Order: sequence, then C-alpha cells, then structure tokens
Amino acid sequence: MRRFASDRDFRAGFAAMLPACLGIAPFGLVCGVGAAAAGASTLDALGLSAIVFSGAAQILAVQLLAAGAPLAVIVLTCFVAGLRFVIYSAAMAPYLRPLPARWQQGLAFLLTDQAFAASVRRFDAGGDPRGGGMYFLGGGFALWSFWQLTNIAGYFVGNLIPAAWSLDFAVPLCFIALVAPHFRSFPTISAALVSACAVIAFAGLPMKLNLIVAGLIGIAAGTLADFVQERWTPR
Amino acid sequence: MDTALKLWSVVLIVGALNYLSRLSFIALFARRRVPPLLARAFRYVPAAMLTALVVPMVVAAPGGAWLPALPKIAAALVAGIVAFVTHSQLKTLGSGMLTLWVLQALAPRFG
Repeated sequence: MRRFASDRDFRAGFAAMLPACLGIAPFGLVCGVGAAAAGASTLDALGLSAIVFSGAAQILAVQLLAAGAPLAVIVLTCFVAGLRFVIYSAAMAPYLRPLPARWQQGLAFLLTDQAFAASVRRFDAGGDPRGGGMYFLGGGFALWSFWQLTNIAGYFVGNLIPAAWSLDFAVPLCFIALVAPHFRSFPTISAALVSACAVIAFAGLPMKLNLIVAGLIGIAAGTLADFVQERWTPR
Repeated sequence: MDTALKLWSVVLIVGALNYLSRLSFIALFARRRVPPLLARAFRYVPAAMLTALVVPMVVAAPGGAWLPALPKIAAALVAGIVAFVTHSQLKTLGSGMLTLWVLQALAPRFG
C-alpha cells in the first residue's frame, strides 16, 4: 500500500477524483438508505456496495428486492443496466493493453462511469502506460473507498436527512451529468428520445421490466439512426 | 427464498456479471474482432440505458399525476443543459438540486 501511496501518478489520480467523489456522495447515501429500507443487514449492505460497486445496479437491486421480484428478474435488470461497462471496457482496452494481465484484471474491477471519464482524459494526454495505470488505480481507489463510506453513512444515518431535501433526486442528476454531454449526434439523441418514450409507454410492466425493454428499443433506434445518417450523409 | 440468501445471490451473481462486463474488452475479447453491427449498436448503450434509468425517477410522482412532477422535470432540464454546456458533474448536481428546491418552495403559492 505504501508503494502506491508514495507514487506520483497514483496520488495525482486520487486527487483528481476527489471532486467526482463529492459528486457521487448523495448517490452513495441514497444507496445506503435503500439497502436499509430493503431490510439488509450491515454486512449485506457492505457486500452490495463493495462487490457490485455500481450505483445503478445497487438501487435497482434493493428496490426489486424490497418489491419481492424473483432473483432472475433482479439479475437480468442489473446486468442490462450494467451493459454500459462493456462500452467503457472497449474504450479503455487500447490504453490498458501494454499493462500486465494482473493489472488489467485489477483495474477492470474499478471501471466505473467516473473512473472511465477521468482516465480516458489522462491516457489521451499521453505519458507511459504504467503511469496511466497508476493514475487509474489511484482514482478508482478513491472512488471505491468513498463509495463504501457514503453507502455505510447512508445505511446508518440516512434516515436523519430531511425528506424536504429530496436527496433522491441526486441519483437522476448523476446520470444526467453522464449522459447529457453526449447529446451531440443525431443517433445518440434518437436513442435517448426513443428510450425515454418507451420507458413511459411500458411503465405498466411489472418489476421495472420497462427499463430493459426501453433500453433495448433505444439501442435499436440509435443503431437505425446511425445507418440512416450514414446513408444520407453526402460523400 | 430466505432474504439474506437471496440478497447474497444478487450480490455475487450481479457482482460477477458486472465484473465480466468491465473485463470484457480489456481482457476477455481483447484479441477478437467485434462484429460491425454489434460495434455500432454498442455505441448507443449508454445513451439508451441511462435515459431509461433517469426518466422514471424524474416523471414519477405519487399517484402518477403529472403536475406534482413538474418541479423535477424542470430541474432535470436545467441540469441537462448545465451538463451539456459545462461537462461538470458538480455544477450539474448543484444546479439541478437548487432548481428543485426553489420550485418546491414556490409550488405551494401556485396551489
């Protein structure tokens, strides 16, 4: 551990992630509150945040658990919600290729929306791959540790937060911060708009199955719009 | 099924699946070519999935009525514009929460 703590790139990655840690703090608190509300023990809540390590999957899991959804539905919904990690994985792969397999396997665990965004900027800025890996590790470690702290805080004292603060609303805001900057191309906007309409249209489906349905329809719409755009773009 | 057993099944299975998603292109398919159609579809996963997650959290009001959800819808739009322009997570969070608090404080006056 000391080897990392004294590493320049590790520390730079750690420090650069602190604003993002602050940004996800309300989200972590909400996840902790949700785990407590679903009747999870302290160890259950810690397992959820430490192993699953994904706010979207954790929120969905505790809500579906509390609603008594079958295991298969919970697993499928959380998996589909986590499919975006496949995209991040594909985008990070070229940068991590020069690193040893052990490093790749370790860093993959720390791959999140925030770590992805921060590390791609660092890798794009150049430098040696080892420094980039250390930077990613520092940022991922900061995010993971802070996520555990906020989840546990939410689990124990989250119910003290006044309802009038509407802390829950921080969750959609975190996702808006991730997705809105990408609304620059016709296919991306199509994917989002169609997905938004579909998730409302299918709101009657039980156990939040409208999320999966809307996600898949949105992906199809984006892909179709991509083909249309390619066809109509003058060469 | 026992609650704790079910919860830990979720933790371990979802944890493993999420890890495999994260590991996928970094290690598992590092040397494999992705079919072009799949690569094209992959690009739109974040936009479609994140939007599907956000919309119900914003428009869902108790009882399914639209009027009580208006402050959240307005706050989400403000946050979306701030995110689009600034790319800043903290500014997005701050502007969205602030808009919501102001509108919720004003709402009772408009009945």
